Amino acid sequence: MPQTMFDDPDGTLAMLRNSVAGFAAQSPGAKILRERRAARKDLDQSIWNGMAEAGWLGLSLPEAMGGSGLGLREQAVLSEALGRELITEPLAQLAVFAGTLVAAFPDNAEVQRLGQGIADGSLIVSPLWQGRDAGRASAVMKRSGNSLLLSGDYHFVSAPRSATEFLVVAESDEGTALASVGAKSEGVSVSLRPSVDGNQIGSITLSGVEISGERVIASGPDVDGALARAIEVTRLALAAELAGIASRALEITVGYTRNRVQFGKPIASFQAVQHRLVDMWGDAEFACAAVVNAAETAVSGKGKDATLATLAAKARAGDAAVSVARRSVHLHGAMGFTDECDIGLYLKRAINLNATLGQPEKLRLQFVALERAA
Amino acid sequence: MSTQQDWNALSDEEFRRIFRDWVEENCPKELRFMRKQRPLFDEVAVWYHNLARKGWLAPVWPQAYGGMGLNPSKHIIYVEEWARMGCPRIPDHGIGLVGPLLLQYGSEEQKQHFLPRIISGEHVWCQGYSEPNSGSDLASLKTSAVREGDEFVVNGQKIWTTLAHCANWVLLLVRTKRVEGKRQEGISVLLADLRTPGVTIRPIPNLREEADFCEVFFDNVRVPVANLVGEVDKGWTLAKSVLGHERIFLGAPARPEYALTRLEALAEATGAFEDKAFLSRYAKHRLDVYDLGSAFERFAKVLRAGGDLEADVSVLKIFNTELYQRITEEMLEIAGEDARFEDDLDAGEIQVDAMNLFLDSRAPAIFGGSNEIQRNILAKAVLNLPG
Repeated sequence: MPQTMFDDPDGTLAMLRNSVAGFAAQSPGAKILRERRAARKDLDQSIWNGMAEAGWLGLSLPEAMGGSGLGLREQAVLSEALGRELITEPLAQLAVFAGTLVAAFPDNAEVQRLGQGIADGSLIVSPLWQGRDAGRASAVMKRSGNSLLLSGDYHFVSAPRSATEFLVVAESDEGTALASVGAKSEGVSVSLRPSVDGNQIGSITLSGVEISGERVIASGPDVDGALARAIEVTRLALAAELAGIASRALEITVGYTRNRVQFGKPIASFQAVQHRLVDMWGDAEFACAAVVNAAETAVSGKGKDATLATLAAKARAGDAAVSVARRSVHLHGAMGFTDECDIGLYLKRAINLNATLGQPEKLRLQFVALERAA
Repeated sequence: MSTQQDWNALSDEEFRRIFRDWVEENCPKELRFMRKQRPLFDEVAVWYHNLARKGWLAPVWPQAYGGMGLNPSKHIIYVEEWARMGCPRIPDHGIGLVGPLLLQYGSEEQKQHFLPRIISGEHVWCQGYSEPNSGSDLASLKTSAVREGDEFVVNGQKIWTTLAHCANWVLLLVRTKRVEGKRQEGISVLLADLRTPGVTIRPIPNLREEADFCEVFFDNVRVPVANLVGEVDKGWTLAKSVLGHERIFLGAPARPEYALTRLEALAEATGAFEDKAFLSRYAKHRLDVYDLGSAFERFAKVLRAGGDLEADVSVLKIFNTELYQRITEEMLEIAGEDARFEDDLDAGEIQVDAMNLFLDSRAPAIFGGSNEIQRNILAKAVLNLPG
């Protein structure tokens, strides 16, 4: 079945894949998802702790922050494996996005505290930066004596209840500011909306929330740069996760259609079904190849090329995951329409991740605009 | 023929530079980016002989037989640069098909006789596989070869034989024995001189009203037994196995990449980029081309690491040929009322051969095994599906 193909001279990537498979054998993704959904929780704390112990949350954080200091190839392989196993705790947002943002400012004392907390799971750091239109929220940070006041409406927030810290992007007199806010601070209000894949997404209003100067990590163009980088790295992780979902949904469906007998034969022996499965396989192969291209281009450090490659990968993998999963549901017949059958969970998960940080159409238009701007 | 060096010892960058510089000097400008996909031998003879003199005509043949001896990763560069610089395709069945077949399965006499004549251009080859009732179902072929003394007597008909009308030799698949229930058995490979009495070649005009393929009739055509390749009756596996890493080139992005540049030129000229609906469709084509590059690289990497390609490589062929079609369909869409014209479309300074490309793009989804056959193969070989 399709899988990203990277050189793996010291076996780190194989070890990561094994570690995820072993974790899922203990805590099957679909079972955890259903339990969390039934409890209407936004995070499974024990699973999250397990992910921290496995070293996944600080995978690409510098070692000085308690991370493993690994790169984008490793992140891609980890995320792909999580997608395959349907491990749906919001690692992309709480570890990759938050981790990339803080790691951009390594000398800052608050960053050291947050980084350590992300890596060991003792802090759950959720980024607040998106507005209702999914672009940057209009939020402000104003000076008030020795402290600062934050106000604004944020949307699409992961683990809004479980978060211990919010990592907040807001406009200040010194340009875009990045600061941390204790999640239980006065003036923080949270509302929840269920996501289709059994999670809770938050909208958060900050109404003049007071923070001390030490909580301001940075301000100015560096924050804009760090935010752009966090978006890009997270898109790569999401693309990898989506490629993993596409590949696993295909694998499950191949298995199902080989066992399901009608007219005295497995339905996978019918050409109409076979050609569908082959097309799904091709889509998953292309998704994996696009993810590898994005990771390799980003590792080789070419700025614009890396941005283009990441936009392409997220678009390709998003389309592949949603459409492979949709066709998988169909090929499961009426079974596919039941909640009991796991295949529907893959579809729902793909829809969530595909909608996160840009639908394919939007990403493709961004790609073309960036390329043609030259 | 100039003395050859070990090209594989060069870095990729250096080899690419040397190849480009030489092609720039030696491939005539008027032959670059030809409208015709399959020019006749005489139309590109200058280029053919320039390559032959340099010793660069046969990229993967061993140097001992007049080739360059390139490994797959250098061969990929050779093919990429060839396409990038718009070099015309040469009649290449001798180089790409007969040569590798003889190198693998031919007798030393056959190699010594035929290989130099391919390099010199004395022998121009075509491929006699398909028959009127044996296309996708090639193993049902009926053209017969009956042994009489030191000769086979060949009777039957081949069709869709590309460039037969400019060739003088044909690589033939013939039936030498009928085995009930085992159609692949009893097929043999023969090398036949098309100037032998009893051979009739009739060009077939294609959708572009050009004749690049033919039907070839065999009426008691006598072929020396010495021209049998490999064992009699065992030709099927031999004919099937001759393409190794070259299968990757059926999926090389060059064709859709080129079509996309034509679409872009047309879109600039017609103002289509101002149209949001077009921009959305264009973005999809653009990313399809881009991602095909990534997928091609996934298989190229296997070759560079010294590995062998498996059946899964044909995913490139399917995607590539269907993408080529989508892009040319888009050209007709934005050409508007002009889409009805047979000749080229004005696009500012240049002309865009939209109709030419649209019609051309119908063929690759069929030849080399139709995309439906490719899907059948993938279903069995990759997904291991029953039935």
